[in-house]
Amino acid sequence: MDIFGSFALLLAFLATVYAFVAGIVGILTRRTLLAKSARNAGMAVFGLITLAVASLEYFFFTDDFSLAYVAAHSNHALPIYYKFSALWAGQEGSLLWWSWLLSIYVFFALFLNRKKHPELMPYVGVTLAGVQTFFLILNNFVASPFHVLASADSAGVMHMARLSEGSGLNPLLQYPEMVIHPPMLYLGYTGFTIPFAFALAALLGRYPGEKWIHITRRWTMVAWCFQGIGVLLGAHWAYAVLGWGGYWAWDPVENAALLPWITGTAFLHSVMMQEKRGMMRVWNVWLVFITFMLCILGTSLTRTGIVSSVHAFAESSIGGWFFGFLAIVFVVCLAAWYKNRDYLRSDNQLDSLVSRESSFLFNNLILLAACFAVLWGTLFPVLSEWVTGNKISVGPPFFNKVNVPIALFLLFLTGVGPLLAWRKTSTDALKRNFAWPLAGGLLAGGAGFAFGFRSFYPLVCLILSAFVTLTIFSEFYRGARVIASRDGSNLLSAVGELTMRNTRRYGGYVVHFAMVLIFVGIAGSAFNQDIQKELKVGQSLTIGPYTILCQNFDQPSTDNYQSERATLEVFRNGHSQMMLYPERRLFLASQVTETIVANESTPVHDLYVVYAGRSPDTNLPVIHAYLNPLVKWIWFGGIVMVLGTCLAMIPDRRPAMVLRPATERPWSDTIARRAGGSPAASPVTSSPIRKSGPHD
Amino acid sequence: MIEMARDTKPVSLATRAVAAALFFAVSLALAPVLRADDSARAKALSKKVMCMCGGCNDTAGTCNHTGGAFSGPCDTAKAMQKEVSQRVDRGDSDDLILQSFVQEYGPTVLPDPPKKGFTSLVWIAPVVAPLIALFLIWEVVRRWRRRVALAPAGGPAIPPELLDRARKEASRHSDE
Repeated sequence: MDIFGSFALLLAFLATVYAFVAGIVGILTRRTLLAKSARNAGMAVFGLITLAVASLEYFFFTDDFSLAYVAAHSNHALPIYYKFSALWAGQEGSLLWWSWLLSIYVFFALFLNRKKHPELMPYVGVTLAGVQTFFLILNNFVASPFHVLASADSAGVMHMARLSEGSGLNPLLQYPEMVIHPPMLYLGYTGFTIPFAFALAALLGRYPGEKWIHITRRWTMVAWCFQGIGVLLGAHWAYAVLGWGGYWAWDPVENAALLPWITGTAFLHSVMMQEKRGMMRVWNVWLVFITFMLCILGTSLTRTGIVSSVHAFAESSIGGWFFGFLAIVFVVCLAAWYKNRDYLRSDNQLDSLVSRESSFLFNNLILLAACFAVLWGTLFPVLSEWVTGNKISVGPPFFNKVNVPIALFLLFLTGVGPLLAWRKTSTDALKRNFAWPLAGGLLAGGAGFAFGFRSFYPLVCLILSAFVTLTIFSEFYRGARVIASRDGSNLLSAVGELTMRNTRRYGGYVVHFAMVLIFVGIAGSAFNQDIQKELKVGQSLTIGPYTILCQNFDQPSTDNYQSERATLEVFRNGHSQMMLYPERRLFLASQVTETIVANESTPVHDLYVVYAGRSPDTNLPVIHAYLNPLVKWIWFGGIVMVLGTCLAMIPDRRPAMVLRPATERPWSDTIARRAGGSPAASPVTSSPIRKSGPHD
Repeated sequence: MIEMARDTKPVSLATRAVAAALFFAVSLALAPVLRADDSARAKALSKKVMCMCGGCNDTAGTCNHTGGAFSGPCDTAKAMQKEVSQRVDRGDSDDLILQSFVQEYGPTVLPDPPKKGFTSLVWIAPVVAPLIALFLIWEVVRRWRRRVALAPAGGPAIPPELLDRARKEASRHSDE
């Protein structure tokens, strides 16, 4: 079976090399058949890597510890779903997993476009095959998961060895979210390969117009959404499992996952400049190049040990491969851009500084500033040691200091940008659009202050959150009111109608609202409280409105682990509210201990209680309780983000305009007039033949 | 005349609401600020030194990786937290405590890199880089604005390539 897997992997490598080489030859010699054959090879890679993955899973499911990788990451007692997820628990398996997810994207990108864009697709196929080749080189020759365990006898002859038991999966990974977090994150990382490949292909093939952006819009959103989910799930896992009361520590690997998400966000916004106005062609191409390179950098940071991180896999020599690949990608991008830069020349014009265009410029500036600050802080220790020879640390306080103001400015733009019209916004429109939201924001700030908000940043965040929320709701309300009064429908169904007519715009608003929720949740961390106390049975501690009384300590155990557990009763205003059972487990196979947090989560706050072991001085159990306000808003925001992204991907419902009498004004104009010169009022975008929504 | 006419325009309800809210917010801003007690000081200080176990990038106060007896702060972080609170109890000043950690572990122990010499770059760059970018954007925008100014205002004959461009733009707008 190991031979089967490694053979499938080798075939996949040959197929992708063929797709790469034949693709290039096909383009150079203009042979369509060769290009088609290259494409088919590219799609076949998916099947071959699937076989390899299936064969590795077979080893896990049958508890066959003859493979070094399986022996290191599984054992008999491991529950079956963790045997499945153990596939990506280590370096070799996770690289295989990466390759496989990439091959899924490649398969669908090639398959869905097999009859479209005949001039573009060969270039896309070659680019994708190039990236796939790199990962299959790693899978086959650098970090193969199919290494068998072997030992030499006294005569020096190697014998295969099969262990009777594996060393088990790291218990920190034995958590339901760890089954989905890595696939989500990897789907994000690998997904950005598709827009990258189309951008590079369009540039290399000098493919006309903005077509590549139209083709890749949904692909980019899918990758972006997965990346976002991956980051949030990682944060949630850190919160729920690690037991330190927080969800984000600016660890290099967290940063690495955030970076492509930030540039991806910038890209999703700035492509609109190109689609609507033909502007920023060079910028967009580079933005997607950078996003892809950050994905590669991100995955290499986890695997090379160049920065110290809690996440890092064992240090290995794989770094050279990644940096070599990054260098090649950069050189190819640079050369492609230099050679074809005249093709990207665009007719940039800016009519007014108070316009959607300039808000997008700011949006990109701020996002890139955030990206730069995070990347700079992450890599600076390496740079500093290299230049001065002194090791220094760049810790979480640096990232907070630099990024909080940047993020708040971004939140501000989230409210302002969408309400500015393309080309030029009149002062009247500004007043009309912003007066009430601004008033609402300031009122919320005042109210927050009255209720005891004293820190500067949370207060600003509260004001901006209220402001942005109100601008979003007013956009929905004004558009829906027009539709409701025209159709005689109620406001709620009009909101639905409005949204479905321009899903991209209103889906985008939903995502913006999700960001507000996440910001509010993060701002809550400014008011975190915690207390750590040694507790005997019958003693209690108080945090916020809660009193936690220690009822009992016991040691429940299973085959998989031994445990120490506290039984705590929580009182609020003298009334018993709930029982909590924080726990510490020692996993027998791996001899690693893990905290099982007892977290009572409400929209107002989380009561997060950790059994922190026994005090070395008194041998009494130590209970560490946290009261973390608003954390749930972050996870809820994540769900709203996914819903908004899905909404934005649904095709628009076209209004049935043909059936209307010719004398009637087009509905888009009517709406523009009634909504009183909101963005739709701009002369360029109102036209009787428009197919999209009212304020596009 | 036009300016005067604008001045006499009645102030809208919305504008008044903004002004009132602003006044409300500012007047509330004059409240006293709470003072932190000793344990809060120790907690804050332990977030100003890095956990020196060598395996993570956390401060001692927020260390979250598995190690030693239980997951959460590792033994190194716990020892450092303890040292901080002992020194706070002894009445040492913040600076003195941080300084003693630097003497023990070197400058790596500070999560905020020192703002002098080469390492000051870590602070300068995130401020300067966006400013340079802003300047570049400003230059680009000026060029784009000039193009608008120079664009032909229309005349008797429209050149075919201009028409072509207009058609392309129109199709682009009708696409989405």
